Amino acid sequence: MSAKPETAPYRAAFAPAGALADKRREAFARFEELGFPTRRDEAWRFTNLRPLQEFSPHPSSPQRGAGRSEGAIAPYLFAGETHRIVVVNGRFAPTLSKPGSLPKGVTLGSAAEVAASHPALAARLLDQTDTVGGQAFASLNAALFADGFVLALDPGVALDKPVEIIHWGDAAENSFHLRNLIQLGAGSRATVIESYAGSGRYWTNAVAIADLAAGAALRHVKLQDEASDAIHFGHVRARLAADARYESFVLTLGGRLSRHDSFATFAGEGAACGLFGAYLLKGEQEATNATFVDHAVPKCTTNEVFKGVVDERAHGVFLGKIAVRPQAQKTDAHQLNKNLLLSPRANVDTKPELEILADDVKCSHGATVGDLDETALFYLESRGIPADEARRMLIEAFAADAIDRIEDDTALRVHLLAHVQRWLGRKE
Amino acid sequence: MLEIKNLHAKLSEGREILKGIDLSVKAGEVHAIMGPNGSGKSTLASVLSGKPGYEVTEGRVSYQGKDLLALSADERAREGIFLAFQYPVEIPGVNNMYFLRAALNAGRRHRGEAELDAGQFLKAVRAKLKELEIGEDLLQRAVNVGFSGGEKKRNEIFQMAMLEPKLALLDETDSGLDIDALRLVSKGVNAQRAPDRAIVMITHYQRLLDYIEPDHVHVLSGGKIVRSGDKSLATELEKHGYAMFGDAAA
Repeated sequence: MSAKPETAPYRAAFAPAGALADKRREAFARFEELGFPTRRDEAWRFTNLRPLQEFSPHPSSPQRGAGRSEGAIAPYLFAGETHRIVVVNGRFAPTLSKPGSLPKGVTLGSAAEVAASHPALAARLLDQTDTVGGQAFASLNAALFADGFVLALDPGVALDKPVEIIHWGDAAENSFHLRNLIQLGAGSRATVIESYAGSGRYWTNAVAIADLAAGAALRHVKLQDEASDAIHFGHVRARLAADARYESFVLTLGGRLSRHDSFATFAGEGAACGLFGAYLLKGEQEATNATFVDHAVPKCTTNEVFKGVVDERAHGVFLGKIAVRPQAQKTDAHQLNKNLLLSPRANVDTKPELEILADDVKCSHGATVGDLDETALFYLESRGIPADEARRMLIEAFAADAIDRIEDDTALRVHLLAHVQRWLGRKE
Repeated sequence: MLEIKNLHAKLSEGREILKGIDLSVKAGEVHAIMGPNGSGKSTLASVLSGKPGYEVTEGRVSYQGKDLLALSADERAREGIFLAFQYPVEIPGVNNMYFLRAALNAGRRHRGEAELDAGQFLKAVRAKLKELEIGEDLLQRAVNVGFSGGEKKRNEIFQMAMLEPKLALLDETDSGLDIDALRLVSKGVNAQRAPDRAIVMITHYQRLLDYIEPDHVHVLSGGKIVRSGDKSLATELEKHGYAMFGDAAA
């Protein structure tokens, strides 16, 4: 086995130490073996990696997070009370973080700190270095990560205020490998809102492990509004025990090249997974949302809705796969991807996919690509609403249809919609 | 207020539908344009309101001294033209109240008036809803989504009442209404008759004119106005049908 040439710069920066060193070596070897994905890999068929190859970022996070003012992150703060962790350039920023008082049975903090003080949680961070096979960037993340966040709840603990994680990147020509762990004990409950933003050219490569014990419930929201020259890869692996609930919403607005991969595996019966998202792209942006849900046990439910708005010369990609194993009877799984193309040079690739090997299931999938509804546009204009504003209203309504899937949290819907509105007002 | 001279229009892809319309409407007047299916009634409303998909090939339209055809649909609306749709459009995800406030404030900005905030708007809305016997829950719903036929038509008249146009075009507002809904809609329209406002009703049936009495009645047939008169013309039509205007109107 020989290392792929594009991995060489990362070898130079790779110096594992501490308790996780062996795991990191294993991960790095895997990365060297895999190399960067190419268009021959089905999952990366529609992705153009050139922006990453062209700028060859410095392989690891800088030693310390720069002291950023509150100003830079202000637009991303959630309006309500939260337990806040801020990470700047890949490292925990203690002066900006406000974890607040945590109920008993809750561990929240920087991944580096928690790893040092809680060996069991540290091990969970690197349980799986190559989480689902062939994930080169997740392997690289395991080898190089400097920091991230850990949230762990004891069984039965309900965290009422959301946990807010803000990652700000502005160290030019750098890459930030973040490792995050959300571990929910049986019957516990939490909401996590992650926001990624910054300025300049950098690469964020984040991996999150969400482990839900029986009956646990996690609402996991991610706003990706990275700088317009930035690259963002996010990789979430959720594992659901019996009767667990995992609901995610991914709002993709920023970055030159971005990708979000969600993997959800059902490990116990009666669990439910909701994967929702919206991507709004313009300029030369390219963004992929890929999901893989593994119905390995009976009686689980998946509901998946992604909506895309693609303008100018941007490229949106949706890859959705739901696998229903032979033993997974009574599976209820639905997947929908709808896209609005706003310009003749905008482009969408969508590939919804169901692989059903059980016979007693309810499954559906679908995808659409279309224009704004001209009759609706005329109706709004005929009431005096200027054409631009009418278009914005319809686009907002289109995206809101995905956001409204977050049924019982108005503040969160308002938060996400405000970012969509900001995008709509944004000029190239 | 409105002067239409020799108006010819066709669908962007093909067929000529309006073949020389002449019509003059003054402030304070109510006109009824009647005609059989396919005579061009709805096309006339579409062309006047600026709906895409039509091409004016000849003639001109002046509205309050302005060249109407040079204005975009939204500009026409802000200048005071209102079209009550034959088939009001459902717009999922756009809240009725949000939509109507945006429309109202677009007009106010245009006239140099201060915009209404949510509180002022709600106050204005409540009064009009009451007049039209519309429940307040309508405000919280998406525009026309899940509305019955009658609710949609009442929503059109409600919007008209809020936007206070100078020239209202009512396109088959009576179609699909039962007698109670027709009475409510007509009451709403009659309440809006005013010396500085003109109303042009487009209808197939004389029935509407029993409720909203026009000053002038025109018969449209084969893309032209073939006869004009007072409201007695409608009674005549009721008796003899459109056949009296020849083949094109059969």
